[in-house]
Amino acid sequence: MKNLFIILGFELGNYLKNKAYMLMTILVGVLAIAAMFLPHVIDLFGEDTSDAQVTMALCDPDETISDELLASFFPDCTFQRVDEPALKEKVEQQQVDAGFLVTSPESFEYVVYNKGMWDSEQEIFRSLMQTEAFRHYCEVNNLNYAELAGTLGTEISSTETVLGKDSTQNYWYCYALVIVVFMLIVLYGVMIATSVTVEKSNRSIEVLVTSTSSSSLLFGKVIAGAIASILQCGFLLGGLLLSYRINQEAWGHRLDFLLDIPAEVLLTFAFFGLFGFLFYAFLYGMMGALVSKTEDINKTTGNVQMVLMVVYFLVLFQIQSPDGIVIKIASYLPISSYSAMFIRIAMGTVSAWEVILSGVILVASTIGVGILGAKIYRNSTLRYGNPIKIRHALKGLKQS
Amino acid sequence: MKLEVKNIKKSFGEIEILHGMTFEVESGKALGLLGRNGAGKTTTIRILMDIFRADSGEILLDGKKFEPRMHPVGYLPEERGLYPKKTVLEQMIYLGRLRGLDKKEAEANSMHWLKRLEVDQYAKRKLDTLSKGNQQKVQLASALVNNPEIVILDEPFSGLDPVNSRILKDVILELIGENRLVIFSSHQMSYVEEFCEEIAVINFGEVVLAGHLKEIKREFGKDRLILSSDNYSLTELSAICQERFQGLIEQNKVTKNFLILKLTAGKTRADLLSALLTTDVCVEHFGVYEPSLNDIFVAKVGDEETLGGAK
Repeated sequence: MKNLFIILGFELGNYLKNKAYMLMTILVGVLAIAAMFLPHVIDLFGEDTSDAQVTMALCDPDETISDELLASFFPDCTFQRVDEPALKEKVEQQQVDAGFLVTSPESFEYVVYNKGMWDSEQEIFRSLMQTEAFRHYCEVNNLNYAELAGTLGTEISSTETVLGKDSTQNYWYCYALVIVVFMLIVLYGVMIATSVTVEKSNRSIEVLVTSTSSSSLLFGKVIAGAIASILQCGFLLGGLLLSYRINQEAWGHRLDFLLDIPAEVLLTFAFFGLFGFLFYAFLYGMMGALVSKTEDINKTTGNVQMVLMVVYFLVLFQIQSPDGIVIKIASYLPISSYSAMFIRIAMGTVSAWEVILSGVILVASTIGVGILGAKIYRNSTLRYGNPIKIRHALKGLKQS
Repeated sequence: MKLEVKNIKKSFGEIEILHGMTFEVESGKALGLLGRNGAGKTTTIRILMDIFRADSGEILLDGKKFEPRMHPVGYLPEERGLYPKKTVLEQMIYLGRLRGLDKKEAEANSMHWLKRLEVDQYAKRKLDTLSKGNQQKVQLASALVNNPEIVILDEPFSGLDPVNSRILKDVILELIGENRLVIFSSHQMSYVEEFCEEIAVINFGEVVLAGHLKEIKREFGKDRLILSSDNYSLTELSAICQERFQGLIEQNKVTKNFLILKLTAGKTRADLLSALLTTDVCVEHFGVYEPSLNDIFVAKVGDEETLGGAK
């Protein structure tokens, strides 16, 4: 046990002395925290560009659209009434943001230079023209437009009471956390596999396995990787969430869908994420022991990557059906429960015994894979040359 | 302390590599495992260090099962290797701590052995900035960092220049003087001869000769005499001996400087000397043959090679 801590300290020191790791953690963490303070910075130094005036061109030869209506539908816009050639020229030279060419009371053309992903001006103008057509109809037929419009547009108020979980609210941070844990597994898994292989390639492994147990060596490496990832992820995610919490009002709660994560969801994420990480980290360590050259690592870790990718896409594709059969099955398998059970807890309906059962399976599997990994690591110590197939490694275990 | 290796067998796949290795060594003595490349020295050492498991046989320390991790053992593997990007001292402290020392002790021992091996000036340098010879000395210092009672060195002299070999030899002599139990493998006979009391010659996975070096030499030189002449070449002398001394000698062998003669059972040096005086051979050298370890090794492994090959 003492040696486990010595190895853990040594391996963790390797991460902490790694300039790239430290620089990346501090830089990204500080940037993320700083980003959450942006509204204050903008208030102090910058102009509020959110109210910047938008200029539009309008070609309405029959003057069917009134200025009153334009102001009502486009309150932040100023309109320049121009003829058709001038409209296109102004848009092309970006003197205006966009333009509308009214070709008849029932049709128009939207002219824009670069159309953005979230451009909704066309839809707003369509509503405007429908309103104008309705107003025109009332006028022609001598109907009271205000009365009819008021009746048709009666305000219906409603409140919502969600007794279970609100998927629309939990969706984005669940999505983000699944990606976070996936990235941590891939990033640190490969680092752990490399760390094992490097000791084979520089031949220090023979000295190590004669100095301490292979279990201590593998567990030390994996736990050090887990701590390094928790430190990195904790600093980034913790800093981001905390700084958002401080600046929540300044952001007008606009990022709540992503950064206002309930404590129970975070705790579940921490538990299943940690053991899922350890489960895969042991597999990566095992795969690292099967090769003796770092350039061969992909040959064995590819199998783990493949499983991980399949699980990743499966969970993300099924994230909108947290109570579906696929997510249910996946939530009990140790290869996928780290994300599937977390999704079920955050977005679906799951009873306590299911969470406990899934947790027990995951923890037991992690310990099992750790022990198996240590044995394969030990058995593969002096097997140099071509990568060892996992089938042969298991066969070797059986024989020994 | 007495370490006994008893009838160790080991196969890799279908091929049996060790066919029943047996030898023993005590504290204050060094055992040299001698053998050609591929004879089974490293496999034997790795079984001793519990890197490989023997298929059968046992290893006992003072009559109890030997578990290397339960005793302070210093091991220098054939495949040298430490962390190239770590400083010398950092990795020595790490290895020392893994072998049960506290940090202070590990640091003090590391500096002691680095100094003894004359590489203490590199303590703060990264390993890969050192020459190959100095890296090897650091590796040896790492093996000794826990002041082991049992020292197992696999080909310790390989890659060392004569000066560094001398330092290593002195260190091994000191270890023997401090009553440590030393086992090492080598095929450099001159070093083995200088400080080994016990040897085990391994060939094709079995011990073909083992015991006290002096006794082995005595036994090997028994009834063997050397002869050279001022007035005949060694080849001519050999022919004369074959022709004139039939019944007195069984065989003779021409070496670089002497003719080696083996007396027939029951015959003495005096008989041969008397016979020589009846010839016109002008004797330059006449004496008891003292074989070198190299002679014994070549003779023994050469003999056994045929047997081994027939297996």
